Amino acid sequence: MSFINKLLPFTRQFPILTEQLGLIRYSSYKSSYQLEDINPLPRKYEITKDPMEWEYVARLLPPAVIPEPLKKDKYPSGWKPQAENLSDRPYFIQRNKFHELPIYLKINTLKTRRSTVLRNIQGDIWLLEKEIRDFLSPQFFQPIRSQVNEFAGYIRIHGDYVNAVKYFLEQKGY
Amino acid sequence: MSGSKEKALNLLRYLPRISLTNIRDNPGAKMARKRGRAQHGGDKHGDGNKGSGQRQNFMRLGYETGNNPFYLRFPKEPYYKGHHLKRQYPPLSLLELQKLVDLNRIDPTKPVDLVAIINSGMYKMSVDQHHFGVNLTDEGFEIFEAKINLEVQWASEPVIAAIEKAGGVVTTAYYDPHSLQAIVNTKKFFERGIPIPRRMMPPADAIEFYSSAANRGYLADPEEISKERFALAQKYGYLLKRIEDDPDYEMLIQRKDPRQIFFGLNPGWIVNLKDKVILKPTDEELLEYYAS
Repeated sequence: MSFINKLLPFTRQFPILTEQLGLIRYSSYKSSYQLEDINPLPRKYEITKDPMEWEYVARLLPPAVIPEPLKKDKYPSGWKPQAENLSDRPYFIQRNKFHELPIYLKINTLKTRRSTVLRNIQGDIWLLEKEIRDFLSPQFFQPIRSQVNEFAGYIRIHGDYVNAVKYFLEQKGY
Repeated sequence: MSGSKEKALNLLRYLPRISLTNIRDNPGAKMARKRGRAQHGGDKHGDGNKGSGQRQNFMRLGYETGNNPFYLRFPKEPYYKGHHLKRQYPPLSLLELQKLVDLNRIDPTKPVDLVAIINSGMYKMSVDQHHFGVNLTDEGFEIFEAKINLEVQWASEPVIAAIEKAGGVVTTAYYDPHSLQAIVNTKKFFERGIPIPRRMMPPADAIEFYSSAANRGYLADPEEISKERFALAQKYGYLLKRIEDDPDYEMLIQRKDPRQIFFGLNPGWIVNLKDKVILKPTDEELLEYYAS
């Protein structure tokens, strides 16, 4: 191979001769000419540094972190901000990074069981569990089965009660 | 009426109504199946021999336990012809858009285009799967209140009405896949150090949609669009707000050139993110190529 590479400039000078000698095999990519650098294209560019124009570029770049919601009189989408004075409450639920309540519906792999998981609970988790249970029990026929994990700070309720628990917490300002 | 009947009816009045949450079989209607034992009852317990029944896994989608499956039974389904080549517009609802505005993920004081929607992080599209941008759907049109200058790729009549009722404007615009590749990840695109491409005109089967004033196409005549705005307000029965009197008039009338991809940046320019400079071509040949 290296032998053919050394010969390549020669083959370009005398293509007919090399072909007769059988040095070029057209069926093989190894016999094709090597790439050469070409001179840079004579394109002229003007370099500008205009802060007004750069604003348009800055607008196109995605934000590095999720922005904080602004205070508004009304949120038509139904989203509610967390109330400000929650420090005197016996328990606290921290919003997730999307500024939503951390309530999730978990469905098992065989899609036969649904459970509601409320996460990021700080403070008296047992009191919160009791209040949720008292809120749900009169509205649903089935007994409310729940699990409290105090260490990890979550409550798991058997069944889909996502919207009911969300409503309950939103009424309390969480 | 006798006393017992009266009592029974009274009882019925106080009992809860029958519903899906309290319906159940009569007592004794069902016999619990018992697991068989010993030589002949205890071998497989009704789970069959081998396979999905015994192992509690489930069959792949469409598999019919050895039958010729339904999805393979018919050799040709011509209504799917060319579906892999058709343009796809992944949906975004008005409710989701309103939520993005409420949560400050989209700034409504600036014109909102596909770049702004993708940079909010709540909308995903993939150019290599023939996605061509946002189809704005009408879910949540009754609560929509954001006054925005919006540019989407597909919108239906009630969606256009909801946006214009809220005092905003909407344009439907086409982007070719090369331009979309720059849009879906702007940072990555600028880091490549190549010129901003020139937006191509829509293909033959889309040019009618994007030239129609009823669809608020970006190639439509602006006068026709203002007529259609009025006609739609009459049809849906709302008072059209005059854009000229609006305090955000300058923002609401901003439009891109049909060859332009990004607001304020022309095709052919190269953006250098490191040195924060913009390179503009001065070659006559390039200027002619990138001219609108």
